[in-house]
Amino acid sequence: MTPKGYMGKIMTVDLSTSAIEIETVSPKVYESFLSGMGLAAHTLYHRIPAGADPLGEENILGFVSGLLTGTGSLFTGRWMVTGLSPLTGGWGEANCGGSFSPAIKRCGVDGIFFKGISPEPVYLYVDDHGVRLEPAGEVWGKDAVEAENQLIKKHPNARVACIGQSGEKLSLISGVSTDRGRLAARSGLGAVMGSKNLKALVLNGKKRIPVHNREEIKRLSQICNKWVQFQPPFVPGWLTAPIGALLRILPFVATQDGMLYKILLKKWGTVSMNQMSVEMGDSPIKNWTGSNTDWGFFKSFSSNPDVFIKNETEKFHCYSCPLGCGGICKTKGKFGETHKPEYETVLSFGGFIMNKDVDLIFYLNELLNRAGMDTISAGHAVAFAMECYEKGIISTGHTGGRPLEWGDPDDIKFLVEKMVERDGIGDLLADGVKSAAEKLGPEAQAIAIHCGGQEPAMHDSRNDPGFALHYSVEPAPGRHTNGAGLYYEMYQLWKKVKGVPKIGPGYFKSSKYKNNIHHARVGKANSAYLNVMNGSGACLFGGFLGAKRIRIFDWLNAAAGWQFTPENYMQIGANIQVLKQAFNIRHGLEPKNNRVPDRLLGVPPQTRGANKGRTVDVDTMMQDYWELFGWDRETGHPTEETLNRVASIA
Amino acid sequence: MAYTISDACIGCRACANVCPTGAITGEKKEVHAIAADTCIECGACGRVCPSAAVLDHFGLAFERIPKKQWDRPGFDLKKCMSCTICLDSCPTSAISQSLLVKGSPHLFPFLTDESLCIACGFCATDCPEEAVAMIPRQDTKPKEPAEVA
Repeated sequence: MTPKGYMGKIMTVDLSTSAIEIETVSPKVYESFLSGMGLAAHTLYHRIPAGADPLGEENILGFVSGLLTGTGSLFTGRWMVTGLSPLTGGWGEANCGGSFSPAIKRCGVDGIFFKGISPEPVYLYVDDHGVRLEPAGEVWGKDAVEAENQLIKKHPNARVACIGQSGEKLSLISGVSTDRGRLAARSGLGAVMGSKNLKALVLNGKKRIPVHNREEIKRLSQICNKWVQFQPPFVPGWLTAPIGALLRILPFVATQDGMLYKILLKKWGTVSMNQMSVEMGDSPIKNWTGSNTDWGFFKSFSSNPDVFIKNETEKFHCYSCPLGCGGICKTKGKFGETHKPEYETVLSFGGFIMNKDVDLIFYLNELLNRAGMDTISAGHAVAFAMECYEKGIISTGHTGGRPLEWGDPDDIKFLVEKMVERDGIGDLLADGVKSAAEKLGPEAQAIAIHCGGQEPAMHDSRNDPGFALHYSVEPAPGRHTNGAGLYYEMYQLWKKVKGVPKIGPGYFKSSKYKNNIHHARVGKANSAYLNVMNGSGACLFGGFLGAKRIRIFDWLNAAAGWQFTPENYMQIGANIQVLKQAFNIRHGLEPKNNRVPDRLLGVPPQTRGANKGRTVDVDTMMQDYWELFGWDRETGHPTEETLNRVASIA
Repeated sequence: MAYTISDACIGCRACANVCPTGAITGEKKEVHAIAADTCIECGACGRVCPSAAVLDHFGLAFERIPKKQWDRPGFDLKKCMSCTICLDSCPTSAISQSLLVKGSPHLFPFLTDESLCIACGFCATDCPEEAVAMIPRQDTKPKEPAEVA
């Protein structure tokens, strides 16, 4: 029977031997794990052996599209890179949009998996005539944007995913680029790609993607789009800071409806939060030691949202997205234009390192996108270097004679350019803060902020304890997109799923810092739902619309011809989590070692600012979370019975 | 499911030249064949065949239609949500996007070159908002971006 929604096949490429095969995947796998993240978790759990070197032959790098990609649903243009992460030593995943996701399925497969190491730099080329590995000598050494331009010139109308110099130089904080600088940035999977001498995937297939009920999918998409297109006028950019301050001061919180964030995203993109998040206490300042009192309105004003759309020449929509949170910005200086920087980049190179110079942020955004380096990790590396210098752990001897000062644009530019080149102090920092700190000693390790190797994002768990939980328990730790208390409010899952916690219209802010079992219940639902979204290729921001407006479960049934209930899908999401957790344990990781550092927990509590006096008990939350999954409360290990149940599906 | 070619084929190569996926093989003046796994059922081969040799998946023969009588997409930019689904669905990459609506920073689709369009209608089929309709061609030269359908 022809599969519907998914393509039913994967491509496997052995780069050591150049052997390429197409394998049929059983419908049972898709029914149990969906496509995308679930298909990758299933495939890599079974195929990467224990003891594999993340930068060696046995690691497998998987590029996957989602089950809903290309079916006529909306917000379903995400693709994922997956593999054994050289940064954390465990499950690695990176998520990206742009136009690459449907290109995978138009080659007739749901995923492309690479093992081995090519003797020479190559790229994979796929079209309807066939698939082959091409020599990549002419593009090796080029940045990701130049390489993509050159490859598209050679293969017009193809879609490209490629690494920049950072992946080639095996920087453990490098990722994979598409659409001239949109990145699947996290988990250091760019280094895995570079270690395989794989420069790019160039996809040019034209296959149709079959679906079960196209009319029903369209009906649901039209419902979703009506909500997206509702866009009343909103305040000017500078007013976002006072709004954030008001939210900080008020003791009572109105439960967030995602339509507000939708309005912000459609107007500005994620930069809408640049000042608001600082004022609310969401943005970490000065390597997690500072607060909004150190980065007040007049300092954050240079990065108010209107500054970013003033230079925006056009909006950027990922495939199948009706919202268009992205954009292309004209910039001064050598690059001329860049993808509009995201909130994460603006803060990582803004308040996190005390920098007010927004022209510098635009420059670093393009430099790092082209190099293919993760801006969140790079910002952490700079912050770490600044604090090390301040505390005398490193000196001008390390920096080639340059003193380092928080917020100095020339010092920041110097450090980042060195990291891209892997030169001098840049070589120390280019593998992230954990690796740098290990070389510098215990004093440095105390101020290297990471979760199991991955630097956490610009969202302070002292403000939203859900971040502390997800930073700590997710098999790919340190990741802000995997869950938070705020996200759960916006998902509104209780409107569609039986048995998940219901949030009322409002609550006292102080309650966020109590009631640990509630955090774990919310956390489990977050993790399961996100796995369903990632198995579908759905965008987190689409999910934020709320489960009644974006009907992920109904789309899946209409695409695949299934009749699963929302509870069935949440169980699928939980099963995917089991595989990822078991993957980590097989590769020698103890889940409790990914716990977020004390600085993010208010241990000791801050004495001023939005999160003054707040402490988060993440240890109890982690144990509750694992227990709710049916795993060992102390260790986070799935039981043998649970593991066998999901691992036996083939 | 795929289209097939019957023995009525005279081997004129018209179908192979128009096929967007390279699914059709055959020597000149010999009966051609369609690779089932590669055929995307766009119908272009059927529209150009002079001998009614292309059969759809019900076994019914296509009738030849002169290219200037083929349809082409018209885009309703009021309904369009700039989602790029139509760009991706086009097997000949004939649809591109640009700043077409005054005052809007969103990009909107247009047919770059009418001669690239093979009238498969996938853009219209795939558009979730029914913002694309197949309409009669104007002529075969490149024109201004398509008007509202």
